Amino acid sequence: MTEDQFKTRLQIAKNKLLKKELYNKNQNSSSIGAAFKISTELVAAVAVGTIIGFILDKTFGTKPWLIIIFFFIGVITGIINVIKSAKNMQK
Amino acid sequence: MAANPMTQFEVYRIGPEIKVGAFDISFTNSSLFMVVSSLAILIIFNLGSKKNSFLPNKLQLLAELSYTFVSKMISDTAGSKARPYFAFIFSLFMFVLFCNMFGMIPYTFTVTSHIIVTFVLASFIFIAVTIIGFTKHGLGYLKLFVPSGVPAVLLPLIVVIEIISYLSRPISLSVRLFANMMAGHTMMKVFGGFVISLGIVGGWLPLSFSVALTGLEILVAFLQAYVFAILTCIYLNDALNLHH
Repeated sequence: MTEDQFKTRLQIAKNKLLKKELYNKNQNSSSIGAAFKISTELVAAVAVGTIIGFILDKTFGTKPWLIIIFFFIGVITGIINVIKSAKNMQK
Repeated sequence: MAANPMTQFEVYRIGPEIKVGAFDISFTNSSLFMVVSSLAILIIFNLGSKKNSFLPNKLQLLAELSYTFVSKMISDTAGSKARPYFAFIFSLFMFVLFCNMFGMIPYTFTVTSHIIVTFVLASFIFIAVTIIGFTKHGLGYLKLFVPSGVPAVLLPLIVVIEIISYLSRPISLSVRLFANMMAGHTMMKVFGGFVISLGIVGGWLPLSFSVALTGLEILVAFLQAYVFAILTCIYLNDALNLHH
């Protein structure tokens, strides 16, 4: 085998390895982990917002109003959180 | 045959009842499996790091691989400043992983399928990260709640949103782990029940489903431990490198 032949074969093998590495990078477990992360992010923010509204209502005696306002703020927070983590995934 | 798929999550007392004041601190099956998984971690990693041969045996390979896995995870997400917290994140990851994996063995108890366990872990992380943030940056840590480049009119709303988002961290962290473990184990039990009730004629379909689910659950058990650890790293990163 001449040196040129060997060089081309080496190049082909290297390219194959590179492709495999790129594929593995896109498919690694952290992207599945990020997908799992998003689902609870939305729910947790709504729950925390509602709890804060409930506590504030009890302390100030403004029964239905603050819980409604903070519920919607919680929903907004959840959506913002999901958008943020989706943006992080695209990086 | 346990017909109720939720009986597997029951916590019962093993041995005598111990009471301190109003608190019941008896040894339960949950505590037994926490002890078992901690002991398993201790034994595996002690044996794995005992003799550092040039050609590693299987245990040493396992210990070294998990070490590099966690250390790479920390340096990728939280940078070099998070090096001192390696021991904590490593033990956290290993504890959650071993609890999840021990739960996959039939007739065992899954510690992480109880929200109180995961919530204690998550709130400990939350409190620790908050303390670390305040000691590193002082009151400047509050800048986390005030993102730069926001018009003054929107600022009160944004601050409230950021505070809610910060407080929702321990809840999302704990609910994720607990819900995944509990849902998976309930599903496996339900399909197992189908095998018995459909008998030899129709039981093959749920049986094959059950086999597939077991594989999926092992993946989930690893992934949830990984997600738990990597989110701890991300929160730590927020506390250490403040640039919002």
